[in-house]
Amino acid sequence: MKPENPNDPILSKLLREWKNESPLPPRFNEQVWHRIALEDSAPAHPLLFVWKWLTQSAMRPSFAAGYATILLCTGLTAGLWQAHESSQRASETLSARYVQMVDPYQMPRH
Amino acid sequence: MKRPWFILVGGLLLALIAYGASYHFASSNSSCCLLSKPMPELAWLQTEFHLSNEEFARIQKLHETYQSGCAERCAKIDAKNAELTKLLAQTNTVSPEIENALQEAAQLRTACQKTMLEHFYAVSQTMPPAQGKRYLAWVTERTLGSEHNSMTHDSPAATHEHHAE
Repeated sequence: MKPENPNDPILSKLLREWKNESPLPPRFNEQVWHRIALEDSAPAHPLLFVWKWLTQSAMRPSFAAGYATILLCTGLTAGLWQAHESSQRASETLSARYVQMVDPYQMPRH
Repeated sequence: MKRPWFILVGGLLLALIAYGASYHFASSNSSCCLLSKPMPELAWLQTEFHLSNEEFARIQKLHETYQSGCAERCAKIDAKNAELTKLLAQTNTVSPEIENALQEAAQLRTACQKTMLEHFYAVSQTMPPAQGKRYLAWVTERTLGSEHNSMTHDSPAATHEHHAE
C-alpha cells in the first residue's frame, strides 16, 4: 500500500473536519485498557525473543561477520569430521573383507 | 527487514556449502573411494601399506595364484567336515572312524594354513621392509590369532562362493 503524504493540505483539512458520530460500544475504554494490560503482562515466547534479538543483531556488521565465520568454520569442521568417519568405516570394512578373502576359515554369516 | 533474513539464511547456506566442499575434498583421497574400484580389498591394501604400482601389481599376481588353489583346498575341507558330521550323527562315542576323520580334517586345516602363511610371507616380502613387517603382524593376528583359530568356523568353500558374488 502506498503511504499517504502527511503534508497533503486537502487531506489535513478533511481530517480536522472529520467527526466520528457513531456511538462507542459499552465499556469501550475499559476494554481497551484491559487489552493493553494483557498485552503488556503476557510473557514473550523465548524463541520469539531469540528471533527478535537475531534479526536486530544481524543488522550490525560485526555480528554478521562473526555469525558467517562461525557457520563457515562449523560447516568445514563437520564436513571434515564426517569424511574422516566415513573413511574410517570404509577402511575397517575393506580390511575385514581382505582377511575373509585370504583366510578360508573366516566368512560372513548369511 | 530483508537484510537480517538475507544474512541469517546466507550464513546457513555458507555453512552447507562449506560442509559439502570439505567433505568432498577430504573424501576424494580416503578409503571411501576405494569401494568403487574393481578389487577394493587389494586397493585398500595398496593404500594402507603405501605400495607403489609395481609392488601392487606383484601382489595382485600373488593373490590370484593363491586364490586359484585356495578354492580347491577349501572344497576338500568342506567334504571332510561333512563326512565328520555324518559320522558324529551315527554314534555317541569316539569311534576309530571319527578319530581318523578328525585327524584328516586337522591335516587339511594345517596344510591350508601353511599355504596361507606362505602367501603372507610372499606378500610381505614384496612390500617395503617396514610395511612388510607391519602387514605380517596385522594379517597373522587377524587370521592365526587365538580369536580366529577355533574349531567352530563356517564352511571355507562358502567363502569362495561369497567372493564370486
